Amino acid sequence: MSDNPYAKMQALIVDDFESFRITLSKMLQEFGVGSVDSVPSSNEALRYCNSKVYDIILCDQNLGKGKTGQQVLEVLRHKPNLNSDSLFLLVSAESNKSIIMAAYDYEPDAYLTKPITGQTLGQRLERLFKQRIALAPIYKALKERQLDVAVELCEAELKSATRYAGSCQKILGRVLLDLGEYEKAENLYRNILDARQLDWAMLGMAQAKKLQGDTLSAQQWLEEIIQFNPLCLKAYDLLADILAERADYQGQQKILQQAVDISPLSILRQQVLGDVGFKNNDLLTAANAYRKAVKLGENSCHDDVKFHESFAHAGIQLAKLDKNLASPFVRDALKVVSEIPLRFGKNNSSKVSSYLLESQLFSASGEERRAADSLISAQKIINSEESVSLELRIELVRALRELGKKEESEKIIAALLEEYADDEDQLQKIDCLLDEPCSAKNKALVAQINKNGISYYEAKDFSRAVDCFTSALQDFPQHIGLRLNLVQALMGQVKQEPGNNQLLTNMQQTMDYIRKIIPDKHAQYRRFRQLEDMLRAIASAKPAD
Amino acid sequence: MGREDPELDFSFVLASSVHDMKNSLGMLLNTLADVMHEYPPQNDAHAKSYAVLEYEAARINSELIQLLSLYRLDHDKVRAHIDECIVADVLSEQVARNYALLQTRAIDLVLECDEALTGYFDCDLVGGVINNILVNCARYSKSKLKLSAEKTPEGVCITIEDDGPGYPEHMLNASTFSETKGSFAGGRPHLGLMFANRVALMHKSKSQQGFIRLNNESSLGGGCFKLFLP
Repeated sequence: MSDNPYAKMQALIVDDFESFRITLSKMLQEFGVGSVDSVPSSNEALRYCNSKVYDIILCDQNLGKGKTGQQVLEVLRHKPNLNSDSLFLLVSAESNKSIIMAAYDYEPDAYLTKPITGQTLGQRLERLFKQRIALAPIYKALKERQLDVAVELCEAELKSATRYAGSCQKILGRVLLDLGEYEKAENLYRNILDARQLDWAMLGMAQAKKLQGDTLSAQQWLEEIIQFNPLCLKAYDLLADILAERADYQGQQKILQQAVDISPLSILRQQVLGDVGFKNNDLLTAANAYRKAVKLGENSCHDDVKFHESFAHAGIQLAKLDKNLASPFVRDALKVVSEIPLRFGKNNSSKVSSYLLESQLFSASGEERRAADSLISAQKIINSEESVSLELRIELVRALRELGKKEESEKIIAALLEEYADDEDQLQKIDCLLDEPCSAKNKALVAQINKNGISYYEAKDFSRAVDCFTSALQDFPQHIGLRLNLVQALMGQVKQEPGNNQLLTNMQQTMDYIRKIIPDKHAQYRRFRQLEDMLRAIASAKPAD
Repeated sequence: MGREDPELDFSFVLASSVHDMKNSLGMLLNTLADVMHEYPPQNDAHAKSYAVLEYEAARINSELIQLLSLYRLDHDKVRAHIDECIVADVLSEQVARNYALLQTRAIDLVLECDEALTGYFDCDLVGGVINNILVNCARYSKSKLKLSAEKTPEGVCITIEDDGPGYPEHMLNASTFSETKGSFAGGRPHLGLMFANRVALMHKSKSQQGFIRLNNESSLGGGCFKLFLP
């Protein structure tokens, strides 16, 4: 026993209960672990991990304030750091690990359920270290990107049917996909699936199909997995990716919504759901998802100022459609944007961004005086700066417009157009402020959307026509032609589904939006008035409910 | 989720409080282990008291876990998460979990399992079943328990044998652990067996389904519990 392998090891215990820390620490010392640190919170855990390398980290899932155990793991695994390779054991009172783990991308090395006894802990550690040693050559090959070597080693392990054959099968499948050996990977998965349905093998199959460009088969596999195991969130994610690639954003949103309903704690999924909801002009979904993403960001390494800003935008847009519905979001967003400098650095650009969003939010809630004050604060800083980014100037235009300062905003747009006249990439960004896009790419895009939408319309496939025009609203909110087309497509749909009140509301909201931005001299002003008359006729024909 | 009916959903309340109880019990068990460590029993009476504390706490714990699992199974919150497991690891984990209990009751447990034997099952659910049967057997056996596993045509078979008086006649009948109300007639609901049966049924391969069997043909002279997982 003189060369106890634990003697040289360092361990960290993270638990908010002192008695638990003492118990665990005693256990580890009895095994002979050389040094044991213990801390009560996630913050301290991460601080210790920044300065010391641990062989073993025993972390409770529920740490009270701050990050959860899973989120601590997320930080340690997300980027290379001192403790990327530590053994991480997650401890919890929850006996069903799938509930907790479903939400995350990183799996701990082991999952221990309380109560923990010295015997169970000792046994588990011994097993984990044994496995580490046995599979060390494979992990080394993977780390050094010697994938061929990894494949050979895995195959050897499979042939001799050791107790690690199962783990090697999974690694092998992933490496084969990584190497582009899709047929080999498919064969591996198919052999496994011939005996029984296993979700990871089905998922591997779906990945193999997708990577070979057979998205239809991939989709079928994924739908089968979701039926078989509705908690397999990776299947939802992959399916959402496939639908996005196919530009089926409605489908993508639906799948992500399902995944989020099962596991609301994943920040990455909430972020994507916010984006796709926004793209689909489903502002309520977007605002809800962004709000959750912002909240989850407090404890996550995936937090990003972009989603704080998007949350504000979703609130501002929603207020244009429905003030009451938007008001709780607008209130929350005001708080969120005011904290941007605090959370993401107190530099001038984050301050300006914060003020400009605040101004728009105040406008959205009808508080014009405060909106004007925020705008002035922003402009003060802008005027003191030598140069201001295009993004911030776009935001400035929006804030000016919300306050009805048309002339000023048009002046800035004109300046922007002149400044970036030869810069296609920047022009594309400016297009969101314009009635007609100026960049070549977006001109073509709008033409294409119109062409597709109109052909759906002519084929009387109104719901697809509606989706088509709707998809462009966030990218080109000022585009009057697209919005008028949307109204017309909605009218077609109403005739097909006379009972659908949602369509009527949508139509009214779209018309209200146009009314705010359309100049009297606009080429399509007459068409707008005609549609208004038609809408009035439909609304009055409908019996009151 | 999102239950609209205004009435109290008793099963939900129960499940939440079971969860809390389980946490408290975890602390209690750890404290008890500390106390026993710091104040080893001075005489037989002490040792016996410790044994009772240990056993009853372990029993409550495994019953609570079971209740929670049954609740979740019922509410479709849990599906068997089936993957390849190393049988010897799952078995020895349950033995380790009950180490103190077996010691205080002076029960000699033999574990017989090929280190390389693997099976396809949900290791948490199956671990829970084994734990439950072990705790129960620890009560009825005199001094010996045997935990073993082997590959059979019906799948991996996990066997728990004891040297106690054996299972009563009415329990040997398979219908005892099916979930008819009648099973309460004997006074005890055999929750453990019901749970074991549930878990067994959740394990399916392309052509087979899991099941449990009870008999009194234990090699140790007492009862014998078998769990088959295809």
